[in-house]
Amino acid sequence: MKLQHYLGGLENLGPVSTEVRVFVEPWETRIFGVHTAMMALSSQLPLPKTPSTFTTIWTWADLRKGAESLNPFDYFKYRYYEKWLGGISGYFISNGYITAEELDALTEEYYKDPAKPLPVAGATEIDDRVVQYLVEGDSPKRDVKVTFEFAVGDTVAIRSVPSVEHTRLPGFLRDKTGIIETVYDGAYTYLCDTGPDGVGEAMPVYCVRFQPSELWPGNAEPNFSLYADLYASYLAPLEGELAAAKAA
Amino acid sequence: MDDRFQYRGDREAYSAARVRALEALLIKKGVITDKSVDTVLDFFETRMGPFNGAKIVAKAWSDPAFKDRLVADTPKAIAELNLPEGMAGAEGEHMRAVANGPDVHNLIICTLCSCYPWPVLGLPPYWYKDPTFRSRAAREPRAVLKEFGLAVPDAMEIKVWDSSAQIRWFVVPERPAGTESLSEMELEALITPEAMMGVAVAKAA
Repeated sequence: MKLQHYLGGLENLGPVSTEVRVFVEPWETRIFGVHTAMMALSSQLPLPKTPSTFTTIWTWADLRKGAESLNPFDYFKYRYYEKWLGGISGYFISNGYITAEELDALTEEYYKDPAKPLPVAGATEIDDRVVQYLVEGDSPKRDVKVTFEFAVGDTVAIRSVPSVEHTRLPGFLRDKTGIIETVYDGAYTYLCDTGPDGVGEAMPVYCVRFQPSELWPGNAEPNFSLYADLYASYLAPLEGELAAAKAA
Repeated sequence: MDDRFQYRGDREAYSAARVRALEALLIKKGVITDKSVDTVLDFFETRMGPFNGAKIVAKAWSDPAFKDRLVADTPKAIAELNLPEGMAGAEGEHMRAVANGPDVHNLIICTLCSCYPWPVLGLPPYWYKDPTFRSRAAREPRAVLKEFGLAVPDAMEIKVWDSSAQIRWFVVPERPAGTESLSEMELEALITPEAMMGVAVAKAA
């Protein structure tokens, strides 16, 4: 298991941050901009071709996989955009766009002379596509026929799927039961195929309500409900799960 | 000693130099242009940001029928307003608004990452991305909200929404008392990103 998949409910962490700023250091804005440009130029999107040399896929899933693969102590140690900087630099190195040596060498140069200017280059089509991506987005909704196995009010069991590099199932919901609050219209893909975890293909998504007293027995606050949006592959009929458990 | 529990002494200067080196290399190699990063940042200054969310909430406060439509079909209701192009764009393709009421308070979280409704709220503040907030809000929202200075009575139900699939959530806070004479533009000034995610309520100025 990965701690990053099980953050919900973790105890003994001390006070929360109440920092309302989006960026706390000016450099953080730059890595955010790089990430968003990469998402916009990612090769799977049906957007106009540009002269950019970026030919691979970069989505939220890639950023999240990086965060989920960190040592859990480092996950808590480093600030949000420090993790992005590490993950994105690593991606460009491992995909052969840059080498670790040239990044280290140039880092030294900018360290010694922070005012050294950036190169000036690039075609406007690249930035036009960045804006087009922000305006149009990348909806995961697909016009395919799917079967809705559950209806509002049904009690469902949450499966405990194999633990892999990336998931959209919050760990604290595994093996719990919930009640369907909303059946979302249509079918939704995920940004990548998560393999035995089970999401990727277009499928229904449900909003499921959970009772905190079941999630955290004897240790939950009163009078609240927790809702999570869950892909259909994470849900099982309650009866089926119980029968399988008895047979095992 | 293991350096896992220590930071570099030049933590920020090093990251600043490294991100500048990365941006420079990506420009040099033709991945992005010298204007790509500024293009993104400018978009969030002018077109996608909490200024849109404030307009949506102010409209909901002034027009109860709009509020009902906003909660019933969020994208359709938002499309009625004269907001910048892109309200169903990146990270807003599927949004859902939930309204606070006299007996219910809503709180939006993302325990797996930091899903946030970009078109209406812009980028997530640090508190939302904090692993401690994400861990604790799922189990003890009242204790967490108290740390933000918001006391939610036990008699009021709290609904915590964990963003784990396609929906990007936001909250329509309650209109504060004593604001009956304010215009929509004056109301907008009372609406913060924190109130639209549920760690605060809107207050009269």
